[in-house]
Amino acid sequence: MTSRLSRRTFLKTAVAGAAVVTTPVTLRAQAKTFKLGAVHPVTGPLAEPGQACRLGAQMAVEAVNAAGGIKSKGGVKLELVLGDTQTKTENGRVEAERVVTQGARMLMGSFDSGTTNGMVSVAQQRRVPFLVDIAAADQITANVAKSVAEGQQKVQYVYRNFPTGSSFGRKAVQYFGEIFAEAKVTPKRVVLMYCNDLFGQTQSRGFLAAYKAAKPAWTVLEDDVIAWPEPPSDLSTEVSRVKSLKPDVISPITRPASAQILLPEIRKQRLDILGIVGPGSPGFYEAGQIAILKDDVEYAMVSNPWANFKNPRTIQVAEEYKKRSNGKTFDTNSGYSYDAVHVIADVLERTASLDDPDAIVDAIKKTSFSSGLMQYAGPIHFNELGDNPNAVTTMTQILGQKPVAVWPREAALQKFVFPRPKA
Amino acid sequence: MWAAALAVAVLLALPAVLSGYAVTIFILIFFYAFLAQAWNVVGGYAGQLSAGHAAFVGVGGYTAALLFERGVTPWIGMFAGGALAAVLGAIIGYLGFRFGLRGFYFVLLTVAFAEICRILASNVEAVGGAVGLYITFTGNPRQFQFQDQRAYYYIALALMLLATGVTALIERRRFGIYLTAIREDETACEALGVDVLKYKLLAMIVSSFLAGLGGTFYAFQNFSLQPGAVFGIPLSVEIVIRPIIGGAGTLLGPILGSFILTPLGEVSRSYFGQSGLHGAHLIVYGVLLVAVVLFLPQGAYPYLRKLLSRRNIA
Repeated sequence: MTSRLSRRTFLKTAVAGAAVVTTPVTLRAQAKTFKLGAVHPVTGPLAEPGQACRLGAQMAVEAVNAAGGIKSKGGVKLELVLGDTQTKTENGRVEAERVVTQGARMLMGSFDSGTTNGMVSVAQQRRVPFLVDIAAADQITANVAKSVAEGQQKVQYVYRNFPTGSSFGRKAVQYFGEIFAEAKVTPKRVVLMYCNDLFGQTQSRGFLAAYKAAKPAWTVLEDDVIAWPEPPSDLSTEVSRVKSLKPDVISPITRPASAQILLPEIRKQRLDILGIVGPGSPGFYEAGQIAILKDDVEYAMVSNPWANFKNPRTIQVAEEYKKRSNGKTFDTNSGYSYDAVHVIADVLERTASLDDPDAIVDAIKKTSFSSGLMQYAGPIHFNELGDNPNAVTTMTQILGQKPVAVWPREAALQKFVFPRPKA
Repeated sequence: MWAAALAVAVLLALPAVLSGYAVTIFILIFFYAFLAQAWNVVGGYAGQLSAGHAAFVGVGGYTAALLFERGVTPWIGMFAGGALAAVLGAIIGYLGFRFGLRGFYFVLLTVAFAEICRILASNVEAVGGAVGLYITFTGNPRQFQFQDQRAYYYIALALMLLATGVTALIERRRFGIYLTAIREDETACEALGVDVLKYKLLAMIVSSFLAGLGGTFYAFQNFSLQPGAVFGIPLSVEIVIRPIIGGAGTLLGPILGSFILTPLGEVSRSYFGQSGLHGAHLIVYGVLLVAVVLFLPQGAYPYLRKLLSRRNIA
């Protein structure tokens, strides 16, 4: 008797479970809102930038909806379906699958390149247009473009509004040259230093490749590139090696932890240099870092994706962001996620149909959007690879203990100080 | 037996009614059950606690992905990866077993091995360095890629059944009995004339070969390989924890463990992940894990078996 009863209970539970698991598919068609899957690493090692991305996206969705939603489609509201990769590679695809099953008709995400590439396969398999808000590896879009060019995939569903890994290096080399020329110096001994991890390797490799391709008048000591294991406990030997190279400029690629050790060490060992100019990394410009590093970081320059603070709307959004994030800066992460939602809203305004992924892709391809809050070299549009060539970096410098955009000229809020004043 | 056949039939039919996300969850369940079963041969039956099994997954995946870049289909690369993982497994096994490393020392050896692999992969440019490898999505079945997610479902299911079949074979033969004997009392086993080194090595080779096969699946399902993700300690823990929860050294323990843990992780994440409480799902997951370990210290499967047999007697 008991066994028969329990079998029934089991069957009931199983049927109920199956219903839960299968229903979202049927719910998909009748949505009055447009669901947008936003997948970011909200927990795990990358939780901090991931949470910044999520908040940026949420604020942008609120802004779009407050302004009347997608007006050309009868004011359809955007609704975020949130995903968390937990900073695990395999969760990129799992979370993408989940948000799509829950009705997401477009995807955005996901900060680190590994999980993003996992999401790419879901986008291509299930025909869900995917706008990468942050992730730098060139292969993410290039591989899909290649697959489409070779006829293995029909349509490219993956686009990106973020500088690619290789463009980081190219822009840094360009800005270095322009700043040196403007300052009327030609450094012959630029020493590149980097943290030897995924980020540091990518950045240094991209920088050196761009340098070799550009063959500029200034010179990097290519045979004396110095790497340290990240996080380092001490960098005194590395800095004394740099000192023995008699550098004009030190060009470090740091993480926040290593910047806290490197910059004081450069001061302690009294290096006589024109300045510290980084090709692009965190560690120099964050409020917390500046509070710790104080004078050691003054005049340091670094080329990073940066918000356009010449735009009054950026200042307004940054203020609100600061309030809602307990005092954090509106930065690369929150900024690019914020812009991604607005680009998507613009695409949805122009698409012939919200239900046809290929119509959405057509609209993405025709994008020319100039209301982004980040610093761009021109309107956001997508090239043959699916990347926005106008997503560029900005050179910032710490002036008066604040990060200030100093280059390119059209983005500059102040003139840079280089060479730095002698102590 | 009929229960097993029925279960397989149900699993074969399931994708017809499941949503894409549910299919993905099942893929994860099968895949981790497969890796857990591979680990079970050496860790569960032979009692040699390897905490670096991720390394074999990584070696298998990297081999297949690098061969793929050179035009070799992953269907072949998969076995090349498995073979290379088996060779490495044999080397590590030999080093550990020949010099009598037991308990914690063997754990340390395997962890160190995985860490060395991770550091090498992060620093050797030829295998992608810290950036890792990115596989182009083509959806071409000849390249172990599928436009339809359900294909991965069936492959993962096949892998799980394969590993379980292999383990069942081992369990029923003298080999399996030797392994259990080694786990229970290695010295006594040796005194009775069992070639302990040989059988432990064989178990290691089978286990690492299977884990190596799994690497290809990982690579061509996630389309990227990063040293930290495939050689890292978190993946090794994911592999080990399933047999521990389900019941190490039992045939169905790893599968049961995977059926418990994977959905648990997913459900708690999709339930709490939407809320503003970042990471609440991890706390829930952790608490449930502690509860299982506290109340079912032998693992879930032995408990379940005891429960069922008690009922039959009644």
